[in-house]
Amino acid sequence: MGGQPLYLEPRLELRLRSLLDSPDLLHTLTDALGSPLNLVVPDQLADNLEQFRSVYGKHHLSGQVFLAHKANRSSALLRRLAATDAGVDVASLGELQHALGAGFTPDRITATGPKNPEFLWLAARASVTVSLDGRGELDQLATLVRKHALPRARILLRLSGFEASGVRVLSRRSRFGTAVGELDALLEAVERHADVVDLVGVAYHLDTTSFTEKATALEGCLRVLEECRSRGLRPRSVDIGGGFGANYLADGGQWERYTTELTEAVLGTRPPLTYGGHGYGLRSEGGTLRGTLGLYPAHRPVAGAAYLDELLAHPAASLGGRPLAALLLEHLYDLHTEPGRALLDQCGLTLTKVLEVRDQEADGPLAVRLAAKADDVALEEHGVLMDPVVVPRAPAGVGTVAEPVAVHLFGSRCLESDLITRRTVFLPRRPEPGDLLVFANTAGYCMDFHATRAQHQPVARKVAAWQEGDTWRWCLDDQYWPTTPVGGAQ
Amino acid sequence: MRYDSITEAIGNTPLVRIDPAVHGLRHIDLYAKLELLNPFGSVKDRAAWNMARPHLAAAADQGGQVVELSSGNTAKALAVLAGMHGLTFKSVTNRMRIPEIKDLLLLLGAEIEELPGQSECLDPTATDDPLTLFHRSLSEPDSTYLHTDQYFNSRNTEAHFTGTGPEIVKDLEGRAPDWFIACVGTAGSSTGVARALREHDPAVRVAGLVAAKSDFIPGIRTIDEAHEVGLFDPATYDTIETVSADEAIEGMLTLNRRCGILAGPTGGAAYFGAIRQLQAADAQLTERQSAVFIVCDRVESYLSYVRRRRPELFGRPMRRNSPADVSDAETRTAPAIGIADAQAWIGTGEPLVVDLRSPYAYAALHIDGSVNIVDELFEELLHGGLPFSHNRPVLLACPVGEKSARYAALLTRMGHPDVRSLTGGIIAWRDAGAPLVRD
Repeated sequence: MGGQPLYLEPRLELRLRSLLDSPDLLHTLTDALGSPLNLVVPDQLADNLEQFRSVYGKHHLSGQVFLAHKANRSSALLRRLAATDAGVDVASLGELQHALGAGFTPDRITATGPKNPEFLWLAARASVTVSLDGRGELDQLATLVRKHALPRARILLRLSGFEASGVRVLSRRSRFGTAVGELDALLEAVERHADVVDLVGVAYHLDTTSFTEKATALEGCLRVLEECRSRGLRPRSVDIGGGFGANYLADGGQWERYTTELTEAVLGTRPPLTYGGHGYGLRSEGGTLRGTLGLYPAHRPVAGAAYLDELLAHPAASLGGRPLAALLLEHLYDLHTEPGRALLDQCGLTLTKVLEVRDQEADGPLAVRLAAKADDVALEEHGVLMDPVVVPRAPAGVGTVAEPVAVHLFGSRCLESDLITRRTVFLPRRPEPGDLLVFANTAGYCMDFHATRAQHQPVARKVAAWQEGDTWRWCLDDQYWPTTPVGGAQ
Repeated sequence: MRYDSITEAIGNTPLVRIDPAVHGLRHIDLYAKLELLNPFGSVKDRAAWNMARPHLAAAADQGGQVVELSSGNTAKALAVLAGMHGLTFKSVTNRMRIPEIKDLLLLLGAEIEELPGQSECLDPTATDDPLTLFHRSLSEPDSTYLHTDQYFNSRNTEAHFTGTGPEIVKDLEGRAPDWFIACVGTAGSSTGVARALREHDPAVRVAGLVAAKSDFIPGIRTIDEAHEVGLFDPATYDTIETVSADEAIEGMLTLNRRCGILAGPTGGAAYFGAIRQLQAADAQLTERQSAVFIVCDRVESYLSYVRRRRPELFGRPMRRNSPADVSDAETRTAPAIGIADAQAWIGTGEPLVVDLRSPYAYAALHIDGSVNIVDELFEELLHGGLPFSHNRPVLLACPVGEKSARYAALLTRMGHPDVRSLTGGIIAWRDAGAPLVRD
């Protein structure tokens, strides 16, 4: 097998751990509903929200936490969230209908992203706040409101292209939002449409894990809001988007060991760790490592609400070095956030059944074929490397010693590239056909965002589960309402 | 000693023996090669000068720009050298984590471009990562960049092969040391010196030091990052060991406080790694041996780095009248006044309204007639005593009424008879519909 098994064990909080300790339930579910099967845990979402709220509380900030709906299509999760005081960020007509239908009142919904006329009309009709990409969209909205005699629309302006003084940050270009440099024309348009729109604030979303870039953007927003106030507008919020991240792995040491060994495998100083010697963006040129590791930092000690906390404590370099939270508070602004992955942390599992286990070349990894396509478990799509948990069908026989094995995980499509992961995965015991491989923490972007019906293969069904006392209860995702756990599904 | 150019002062640094009473080794003489005494402050002066020198004149004719991927000392040296030759300098980096160095580079006229953080919504197929784009722009046909390429340029290693290494041998009366310990950054100094020493005596044992993976020590790479360096060849080193940031700072403190060597954390890491390496060998020895480590640069640029990790080293004496002395119970019972009563009280013209928020926030919106003293400044003022006379009532305001309550308690304790905190702060004031103005 080539040295020690390089595990990347998933981080499991109480609920997911308890589910994985219920093999009978998991097998009953997949026997009845098929593989793959997605399982969501709505109550966890409410707990995660509390963590974000407590960071707000610590910094005395008011404002709303909006779940980025696109991270998961689940009705159960959305309805459970509707039963809290959080909001939802919708990015399509369907998502907006879903949110309204789940019980979100318009004041708890923000419409973002590229919009078609129907989406824009329903958003304006229902009086949800609309985050506008630029002047074109503003004009479009204003026309719509006048033509259809809709109520005044509450708008946010999405900004981009923030600049720091002194040091130029080579941020990735965003195709969304209006560059701060072109602000004047946009604000003039807002003033021109003052009869039909109310500017409630500004927004940004940066695709980066870097605190300094986000801090620069937030400082830029404060300056823009000041400009708005000096024009007599009355904005009162900043929406800083999401991107707070999740910590997928239980053990930072495993992650460090794995990435070091991967580097060495790419350099050829140890046997390959991937199918076909894939380097995840790294390559060897004359013994020197080149390229960039294209992986999500799966072990992230500071993620989710803790990341927000650290961002808020970050000093604003261009505004006297006071922490960003203090500046927001002093300027009397509300802080809006749109976490997706972070709010759905530990909110679900994807169950897949083992169809076949085949020996390949001697001493090489086993070939394990799953009843699932790569797009059903989109961890790899997001660069997240994390081991599945083996849930055996039959309890281990007396006296059998579990030996670690290396495996390659193949999907069920008739396609060379249908690999669940290109990584050689180490499992603590050899899986057998009928066993389940369970992928933890897939609720954020890894359940249905990428899933297709290619080859007439089914997409995963979704089940919502909750605890009553020591017992897990469940129902189909679209059968779940906040009344279900209390009254029972009948 | 008289020079025509500061560049002549590069190199020929002293080799200083560390007092055995400090390091405790019985059979090994330990020497520090004081690269911090180079004119621009670090070991990188040698490499920067050696890499740039042949191309500076031509680049100056074309009006070119020197560029390097550097977060620290190489950038500093190149910025100075570029400026001396009428060129500009640009540093591209994702590792600039030392604010003092960043400021110094800006002061020296350098342009800094920072690479963005990792993408949160990863696109594994993306090919346009900023570093690739940077390399592409360097190789465009009409490029006037002078890219010194420190991680791959053999003239980096050469500077130490012909300079640092031979100097050590000369100062040890023509003998190579038995041990050489160096941190791995660009691998230029460790590789060049090791090669020079081994030419003299193939038995020299070379220890390379890398940073622990989850750690950050300025100027030292982790083992994974070292593999990205073209000059790095694992075969150069007999052993490669890991040092942590805490150990680097511990080593640095010993050099600073007991040896009179004002080394930075990189030098501290080298000292710590050297002692750890040599202690085991020392116990077995009967004859005398010698060892050399490199002190890369100076401590002054790393104060914020050290402060973040070892705040207790900067412990200041307690100062009187500090808001931190006020207990939570005192804060809770501090004299306070609600919004409506405060409005009436302000209407009488009696109280001085002090707004403790930052000037930016105050400028945006504030209570009419109020005075802005930002809390940091207010705290400074109070160390010296009451800044108001006793017969002047004071109303303190902050965003939510928490800081103002703490200061109201403190002022009361300091003997002010009529100070009150605005309950709920400016936010409650706004929410109650009370007027806020801009001047």
